[in-house]
Amino acid sequence: MRLLSYLGQRLLFVAPQLVGILFVSFLLVKLIPGDPAVLMLGPFATPDGLARLRTELGLDRTVVEQFLIYLGNVVQGDLGTSWQTTMPVTSDLAQRFPATLELVTLGLLVALAIGLPLGVAGARYKRGLLRTGADYYGLLAGALPDFWLGLVLIYVFYTMLGWAPAPLGRIDFAVIPPEPVTGALLIDSLIAGNWEAFRSAAGHLVLPVLTLGLINAGPILKMTQATTERMLDSDFSRYAELCGLPRKVVVAQALRNALPSVITIVSVLYGFLLGGAVLVEIVFSWGGAGQYAVQGVLNADLNPVLGFVLYSAVLSLFIYLIVDLLYFLIDPRTR
Amino acid sequence: MTTPVLAVEGLDVEFPSYGEAPVRALHGLDLSIGEQEIVGLVGESGSGKTTLARAIMQLVPPPGRISQGSVSFEGRDLSKLDEEQLRTLRGRAMSMVIANPRSELNPLLTVGQQIGNILKYHTGCKGRELRERVIEMLKEVRIPDPERRYDAFPHELSGGMAQRVVMAIALICNPRLVISDDATSGLDVTVQAQVLELLKRLAERHRTAMLFITRDIGITAHFCDRVAIIYGGEIMEIATRARFFANPMHPYSVLLLAAFSHNPKLRSYWLKEGEAAAEARPAETGCPFAPRCVRVREHCRSVHPELRELEAGHHVRCHFPVERRA
Ligand SMILES: Nc1ncnc2c1ncn2[C@@H]1O[C@H](COP(=O)(O)OP(=O)(O)O)[C@@H](O)[C@H]1O
Ligand code: SF4
Ligand SMILES: [Mg+2]
Repeated sequence: MRLLSYLGQRLLFVAPQLVGILFVSFLLVKLIPGDPAVLMLGPFATPDGLARLRTELGLDRTVVEQFLIYLGNVVQGDLGTSWQTTMPVTSDLAQRFPATLELVTLGLLVALAIGLPLGVAGARYKRGLLRTGADYYGLLAGALPDFWLGLVLIYVFYTMLGWAPAPLGRIDFAVIPPEPVTGALLIDSLIAGNWEAFRSAAGHLVLPVLTLGLINAGPILKMTQATTERMLDSDFSRYAELCGLPRKVVVAQALRNALPSVITIVSVLYGFLLGGAVLVEIVFSWGGAGQYAVQGVLNADLNPVLGFVLYSAVLSLFIYLIVDLLYFLIDPRTR
Repeated sequence: MTTPVLAVEGLDVEFPSYGEAPVRALHGLDLSIGEQEIVGLVGESGSGKTTLARAIMQLVPPPGRISQGSVSFEGRDLSKLDEEQLRTLRGRAMSMVIANPRSELNPLLTVGQQIGNILKYHTGCKGRELRERVIEMLKEVRIPDPERRYDAFPHELSGGMAQRVVMAIALICNPRLVISDDATSGLDVTVQAQVLELLKRLAERHRTAMLFITRDIGITAHFCDRVAIIYGGEIMEIATRARFFANPMHPYSVLLLAAFSHNPKLRSYWLKEGEAAAEARPAETGCPFAPRCVRVREHCRSVHPELRELEAGHHVRCHFPVERRA
């Protein structure tokens, strides 16, 4: 019951939250120096032409008016067009957002697969090689820039060993990509039963996913280790030990009590990486949403930027909703 | 004589403290408990009761450590056992009833899971049988509506209920020794009486020996076969209940009992220590109780008294024990 009323409340606030986020982004985007009209018409623009274009774009109105017009279009599903790609932002993002999602999701899964067991092991054995290794790993992963690691991986596995495909996008040029359904190449090629595409897409995913995974395992490891350790030091763990429960069971229970923190850090990383993976996207020519947004910022192409913000915001709200549901599942006190 | 269930001999527990001499929480502690015997251990907080309980379980919280002496359980020296052997003893052959159970139970597991886990990991019992035995145990500790409580979480329990759950956990494997550490201190007086009554009956039914730790000497009068008084990590007096209450010999015991006395003169004599004296730490040399003792003499401050058997089964650690008044 509490769950339902909670969900209701949550959904009630989604729309105002989104409008607020969009408005703030709109203001920020307007602060970016650069006149779109000048950039669009190029060096040979006439003052007359510029003025006409500005009127056409609505740039002569107040910011609030501009925002309301934009909002009205958004409500109708129109996010405007990008003057760089000359395509509607929705269709650009339909292609690029799934590319980023696929990359970030798999990257975080790998990060979890590395960080969670290492963190638990580090908490369980407070001394010893494993713990020292985990500590160094956490430090290193925190200190290395992800794009640099990406470049090193490319150098080793593509340039030197030739095991990885060229870092030029999501799939070989020679391979026909599957019909887009979800936008995630792995899933779509499975749906289409297109094994060649699946193999190629998977091959292209390995290095960028590994890059994100190795780097982001750092914070996950740290959080898992610190929280599990705190749980192992807490009253209920000491009591479990007094009751003669096997060490394995005590650690497993501590981990379970630590899970909410781990889920939190993963969700934060997720929201962050939607835009934060941009350097990795650039290194691998991924053509993802982050790259798209950064191009927009650099060229005063505002619609892609706002579209990206909107998509990311919706996704983040959705992720936080799932996180709250997971808390409900894990912790009876929240029910 | 048969081997006692528990024999603690000359036990010292130290907590290293930074840049100072280690804190000695227990000092030369001797205590034995026979089969099905209930021994009350009384002392104010900080006197070392919990440390003793944990030392018996071989789980002194680090960096504390047992620096001398031994703990034997059913004739086996526990320091000779490895961690896995100890684990199979804990919670099964010797178990603990703790205070403040609501913070010690795992907040994410149901009552049924927490009691069941003990049975599962010690006996391998599982499935339907596990559930039945847990529910049986819940009935035994008088938890109303056990089928429903089986699925309750700790935060849904009252203090008294949580205390009963902890008792169920302690008893479900039919231990030979239960250590109850201040188990009822957090409860209302009426609930406390019920829980104590239940604990005593359960100990009888399960034929278990018990070390009953408390700060309240009054409780031991109804509850225990023998009474031991601890001060500053040392046993000050130990005797059968009848002897102890008929003829307390240690000034500290008399101080504790005088608080219950209706005779104002007696009370004011033994309790005349001021605030400062009550706060005084146990002395390092000589008699630990000397800073608070109304009978203290010069000898007490320099010579540490031994625990002497002054009458059969009645041991006292005092140079000048209190004489029985004619
Ligand atoms: N974790 C610890 N670290 C340092 N000293 C401790 C610790 N636990 C207990 N002690 C010392 O041991 C003494 C006895 O503590 P404790 O056994 O908890 O007493 P009680 O249970 O009788 O209140 C304390 O006064 C303190 O000096
Ligand atoms: S030895 Fe001395 S100071 Fe200690 S309790 Fe006895 S009379 Fe008091
Ligand atoms: Mg205590």
